[in-house]
Amino acid sequence: MTDRLDRWADPPLLVLASLADQPRHGYAITQDVADTMGVRLSAGTLYAVISRLESQGLIEPLESEDRRRPYRLTAAGAHALAVQSERMSHVAFVARERLHAHRGLARA
Amino acid sequence: MSAAQTPPAASSRSGVLARAALALYPAAWRARYGDEVRALLDESGADLRTIASLAWQALPAWVWPARHLYDRPARMRASLATVLMAWTALTGLALVFAQLTQAQGLRPPGHPIIGWAYWVFDVAVLVSVLVVAAGGLPLWLLMLRSARREHRPRDIAYLLSPAVVPAMYLAAVIVAVRLISHAHGVGQWWFLGFVLLGFAAGGVSAAGPALALRRLRPRGPAVRLAARAAGIAAATMSLAGAASIVAAAGLYSWAPQYAGYHEGWPLGIYLPMVLLAAAVATVSAARGIRATRPSGAA
Repeated sequence: MTDRLDRWADPPLLVLASLADQPRHGYAITQDVADTMGVRLSAGTLYAVISRLESQGLIEPLESEDRRRPYRLTAAGAHALAVQSERMSHVAFVARERLHAHRGLARA
Repeated sequence: MSAAQTPPAASSRSGVLARAALALYPAAWRARYGDEVRALLDESGADLRTIASLAWQALPAWVWPARHLYDRPARMRASLATVLMAWTALTGLALVFAQLTQAQGLRPPGHPIIGWAYWVFDVAVLVSVLVVAAGGLPLWLLMLRSARREHRPRDIAYLLSPAVVPAMYLAAVIVAVRLISHAHGVGQWWFLGFVLLGFAAGGVSAAGPALALRRLRPRGPAVRLAARAAGIAAATMSLAGAASIVAAAGLYSWAPQYAGYHEGWPLGIYLPMVLLAAAVATVSAARGIRATRPSGAA
């Protein structure tokens, strides 16, 4: 299932997450993000993100396979992804707790 | 590496559109990511949303160029080419203004603002042309030597176009004027034709060195000097454009009887053209000057 990319999705985070387990090239990233995270990244968005992440030193290119160049996380990218994941986990935890309380109040 | 599935191939029309969208990106971006994006589009297909997204993302690629793609000599060369085209357009507009006002054999109207505007215009045009000659000549000679040494006749032709094309244009105009002129000059439609032909000749003249810059890729002090001179030339020619607008507006407002400048539409056409060319020239010149600094990152 894929959703339209909207304001809930953070493309740089999706790309970092996709590269967390292994290097991937552009098409493999879009497939992985669509399959595992349910978001469709367009070519324009994907390469704008890749360019930005590469510029920030969070990902790096590997040797090109024909025209397809794989990318992998750098140590800085892995650290940034870990920090951001923690933050998101915390936000998700708080949101679930409060939703739970809200539903409890609504039933009472 | 995850295996790529085989998706439907993009239709030829969408492929052409996608490549057109890719052409909107800066050259350095295309050189770095172009093949990858094309490979992705070939694999995933290019629907209209994908093409629209690709085209839209070209804007931030220009506005916030990626630092790791920043190539200072390439930036200077691109700025030089753009400034040269815009400067040529401004010069053409300035010549039209001079022909319609100062070169009519009429005394300028006595209003002091118009007189000052004429004076600023004349000085600014003169300074701008001198700066272009002084700043551009070393680079032009460098490229000419390089083209001759490497036996590149096409680049030599490109580099000679600023001398050959205007000379051909002037010769054609002189011959045509002698053949068609009458007691009241050449008539407005002929004049319009000469103006349009002049802009075409100016465009070809400027495009020659711009193409040579792209093909020969010169580096070094001559490029930096030319980039700095382009900044001064763009600023002074923009000043001349502003002065000509003041003078034209003054003629329209305070001296409508002078040479028939009571119609507002020529000013309505002239004003946006000057503003557009001046904006392109100054913005591109500023980017070129920034690239001359060692720390001038994107």
